[in-house]
Amino acid sequence: MADVMNVGVNLEAFSQAINAIQALRSSVTRVFDTLKDGMKNKETLEGREKVFITEFQDNLQAVNRDLNELERLSNLVGRPSESHPLHNSGLLSLDPVQDKTPLYSQLLQAYKWSNKLQYHAGLASSLLNQQSLKRSANQMGASAKRRPKVQPSTLVLPPQYVDDVISRIGRMFPDMSIELFRPNGTSAVLLVTLGKVLKAVVVMRSLFIDRTIVRAFNENIYTEDGKLDIWSKSNYQVFQKVTDHATTALLHYQLPQMPDVVVRSFMTWLRSYIKLFQTPCQRCGRYLQDGLPPTWRDFRTLEAFHDSCRQ
Amino acid sequence: MGVTCVCQVPVAEGKSVQQTVDMLHRKLEQLGAVKQGNFCVDCETYHPVGNTSGQPPKFLYVMHNSETPLSCLALFEGGPCLTADGNFDVLMVKLKSHFQNSKGHKVESRGARYQYCDFLVKVGTVTVSSSARGISVEVEYCPCVVPGDCWNLMKEFMQSFLGPSVPELPSVFAAKPEGLYAPVDCSDTMTQYLELFSKLRKQQVVSGSSVR
Ligand SMILES: [Zn+2]
Repeated sequence: MADVMNVGVNLEAFSQAINAIQALRSSVTRVFDTLKDGMKNKETLEGREKVFITEFQDNLQAVNRDLNELERLSNLVGRPSESHPLHNSGLLSLDPVQDKTPLYSQLLQAYKWSNKLQYHAGLASSLLNQQSLKRSANQMGASAKRRPKVQPSTLVLPPQYVDDVISRIGRMFPDMSIELFRPNGTSAVLLVTLGKVLKAVVVMRSLFIDRTIVRAFNENIYTEDGKLDIWSKSNYQVFQKVTDHATTALLHYQLPQMPDVVVRSFMTWLRSYIKLFQTPCQRCGRYLQDGLPPTWRDFRTLEAFHDSCRQ
Repeated sequence: MGVTCVCQVPVAEGKSVQQTVDMLHRKLEQLGAVKQGNFCVDCETYHPVGNTSGQPPKFLYVMHNSETPLSCLALFEGGPCLTADGNFDVLMVKLKSHFQNSKGHKVESRGARYQYCDFLVKVGTVTVSSSARGISVEVEYCPCVVPGDCWNLMKEFMQSFLGPSVPELPSVFAAKPEGLYAPVDCSDTMTQYLELFSKLRKQQVVSGSSVR
């Protein structure tokens, strides 16, 4: 409470000012009283007018004097300190019915929370900017704003542009064929056939890869009603494992500003499975471990490892 | 249908066929393979009637495989191979004026079917006219379709329960050009069984052993 009292208000001048206001009020009342009473009975009209005017002037001068006094005092009173963190709301602490309306303590609490929130939000935002793991639409929108060179929102690229990027990537790898389907509206689904080793279904959202499923070359790619099967997993453990690793790769290769580079990196990585059954593990030198060939491919070097041999 | 290799496993010294088969079962189970029922591959031999050309007779083999119970496979020696409905045998009876069943030439391999990861393993006892002649092991690596790609991998797997005596790449694959692609039907597998059966049919009866 003490610090709230000490808000830079001159209490002495304050009480004088209140007195001055009372004085001003009564002098103003007197002015209107004389006006209301009008001219009092005197013998001559001249005498009556003279007395009335003198009285009126005296009263107005009194008002003027009181007003000046109030102005002088109000300068002395001073202003509540601007440096108080809560500004004028700090004066709430002066409320004598503190117990009934704990407004002030609630206000302090809320203030503390909002301060903390802002601080943590700042930390989180700087952390997120370091990691480019951005997959949500909001973040992409934000990054597009920062870099006006790319399309306003990379999520609404024209289908023609997606087609071009995919066909360009397809031409880069002769042993890999990429077919593009649009079974549900504008979102593309890619069927990637890698040699005679595997078939991967890659579900796109614009140029971002949403999910992928890898199956054996001899497994069904279509459902019974002839649609591309984008859900059921491979019957073979080796391709279930490869699907898991491919999903990891999707999270690894992220560059929201350049989605086409991401697709290309992912396809380059996927292509390293062309020798899935022919390459021994780079660590233990064997082909099989627990019945599985080396299913992991290093994201940088593309070297083959068993899942348990990678580090 | 993946890449399949059928090979003969020699009977261990001082052991019977059944004891060797039991030993293979144990080794597979130690690896972690799980038994999944039984299998049977059989082969009937037909010889042409009234061979007039003077050339050595060409045999026709009709084979069944429990993996494909609704169809049977007819292989003409050195010639075409035909996948037919299961009742092809009935047709052969009607053709007996041209092809006659060579009695006593029926060969079959029966045994247990194991699964280990993406591998299928079938350990069978081969009998010729009801007498045990040897042991067949069929290993299939299901997720791969190119024999040349996964051969080293399959060899490593077979070594893990057959020891060092692992066969070379089956000739049925070696003879194939470039795209070593196993067809969807199991004719490559059956060709290998046929080769194994022909070899065992010519062998002497394993002394003192019978199927059961
Ligand atoms: Zn390894």
